[in-house]
Amino acid sequence: MRYSDYLNSVAVKHRTVSYNAITPKPQKGHSSASLPRIKVTFSQALELLAPYCGSRIIGQLKAVVPLAAYLTLFQLLVLRHPVEAALSLGFGLIAVVVGLALFMEGLSTGLMPFGNIIGDNLPKKASMPLVLLIIGILGVGVTFAEPAIGALQAFGASVDVTKAPYLYEILNNWTLPLVLMVGGGVGIAAILGTIRFVRGWSLKPMIYLALLPVVILTVFAWFDPNLRSILGLAWDCGAVTTGPVTVPLVLSLGIGIANAAGKGTSSLSGFGVVTMASLFPILAVLVLAIFVSFSVTPEEIIAVAANSAGNISEIEPSIWEQTPLVETVLGVRAILPLVLFLMFVLFFVLKSSLPNRMVTIYGLCLSIIGMCVFNIGLTYGLGAIGSQTGGVLPAAFMELPISATSPIFGLTMGLIVVIGFAFILGFGATLAEPALNALGMTVENLTNGAFRKSMLMYSVAGGVAVGIALGVSKVVLGFDLMKVLLPLYGLGVILTIFSTEEFVNVAWDSAGVTTGPVTVPLVLAMGLGLGNAVSAVEGFGILSLASICPIVAVLSMGLVIQFTNKRSANQSVTQG
Amino acid sequence: MAKRNITYLTDALLITCVVQKDLAEPILEAAKNAGAQGATISFAQGTGIRERMGLLGVTIDEQKEVIRIVVSQEQSELVFETMYLAGKLDDPGKGIMFMSSLDRVATYIPE
Repeated sequence: MRYSDYLNSVAVKHRTVSYNAITPKPQKGHSSASLPRIKVTFSQALELLAPYCGSRIIGQLKAVVPLAAYLTLFQLLVLRHPVEAALSLGFGLIAVVVGLALFMEGLSTGLMPFGNIIGDNLPKKASMPLVLLIIGILGVGVTFAEPAIGALQAFGASVDVTKAPYLYEILNNWTLPLVLMVGGGVGIAAILGTIRFVRGWSLKPMIYLALLPVVILTVFAWFDPNLRSILGLAWDCGAVTTGPVTVPLVLSLGIGIANAAGKGTSSLSGFGVVTMASLFPILAVLVLAIFVSFSVTPEEIIAVAANSAGNISEIEPSIWEQTPLVETVLGVRAILPLVLFLMFVLFFVLKSSLPNRMVTIYGLCLSIIGMCVFNIGLTYGLGAIGSQTGGVLPAAFMELPISATSPIFGLTMGLIVVIGFAFILGFGATLAEPALNALGMTVENLTNGAFRKSMLMYSVAGGVAVGIALGVSKVVLGFDLMKVLLPLYGLGVILTIFSTEEFVNVAWDSAGVTTGPVTVPLVLAMGLGLGNAVSAVEGFGILSLASICPIVAVLSMGLVIQFTNKRSANQSVTQG
Repeated sequence: MAKRNITYLTDALLITCVVQKDLAEPILEAAKNAGAQGATISFAQGTGIRERMGLLGVTIDEQKEVIRIVVSQEQSELVFETMYLAGKLDDPGKGIMFMSSLDRVATYIPE
């Protein structure tokens, strides 16, 4: 007896059925007999659902848990300060993980198919100006849907009105125009990016042209002492916008259009939109700030704020302003306009129907639910832990009323600990970002292995780490953000002039890719908490430094590689 | 240059197994334990089962991995069944596998 025969008879029972018996009988003139639904038992359904949910939740756990653990451990062990409200923090972090898992799944099953269909079909059925208009409106829509943009709105109340009146005014009373302007910036960036796809423009002149007005307005605002405090926010907005919704959706549209125009063959065509989408919002926010400065004076804002501060103890917040309803409203408001707009384009402009309707609707529901849950987690999890650690952080070098053991170290030693903490935070958070891994692979393929994946990942992570460390020292030491930021951008431009097109594309995009939905709220909240604790004017600016530093890092790395390649090429020529 | 010749192998069968993405690993492991000498894995996209399972269809990944293994006729039954059991193909949506006979096989044959 053969071993396999033996095993067969012991382990599995065999049965042979003709496939003819279970396929529908062929009938002339009557094709595609509808197949019966497959019935699934409850236990089978569970077996299907468990790995499906598990793998998605584990993906988000990997992003959130190390960061949260690092922050709490640092707070407990180095700062020797107990974690406050640990229970609600824990639930908040769970909400972040669940919310992100739901949202990302909803994004890939619900929103992305929309983007692909519209990108493939729109250029065939509509004229170019209409296509560009739709892409522009879409830019506004995706900005609303971006999870990290909610973080900006959430931190408005923590700004001191007397020190930074315009910042307070914009974050509290102008939040809708703020997001609209940021969205408008993204929209213009998406339009320009699409034109660039089709025409095959070089990115370099676009960077110079986009930076020029940004720098002019920045300098203008810098000379106005009331407007100066807005600069940190404006430059941070660029980093916030390029998240997990904007990048894939705008890219899928742009690539679809470039394909339709017959110019989608360049391997670089996917790049550049992210860069534009992080420069134009800066411009937009600066314009808004200058507009606000013409319409109200700082004295008015302070007076109004003082009035409302007096009233706030008397007015009980209505049920709509309490958790979880306020988060739910925010979540629905974030996704619904985008969905409605996409549906409008699909049904009325393209006159086509939804493919696989049930799955798409399921995905859309998931993304809305996920956004709501994530918003709750943002308030109680990421935002809370970030501002808590940020608030205790100065205990390392100065006396704080909340910490009995402060100052733990001397002034110099304490500052080194704090800046080192920020450096490691930036490095770890960036390496954990899944988008960076994907970018690394693309770059390795693009440069035929000259720019290795690990090299890109480490130079980006190192850049972000230096940026966050710089940003934290800015908040702690209170030096002027622009005196660091503008020279860094100047350096970036100079490096851009000498770099080849490939490296310019990769480098300027790498900054936007790394600022994901977990890092952004955490860093923003930490900066604001830190700013409050050391009573700085405002805690913004960390993210903007974390965007430019990786650009400079990748550009210089690219130049080094170019240089060594050229030298080895020369050597082989002289030898041969 | 040394004289070259080709040795044809007969009694060979091809096992093809299509499963959801990231599920190939345990199947490959099992096939190797059952005596398979190597495997080729390629990526593919599948349709059909998702539409027929209603909302539960979303739990099934459209991206598939296709495993191809050439086996000798004697080991074929064992490898086929081990792979089927390791991949839990008796659950809905997990995948499909089939075996077909090969006319001839040629490769490097160790002495």
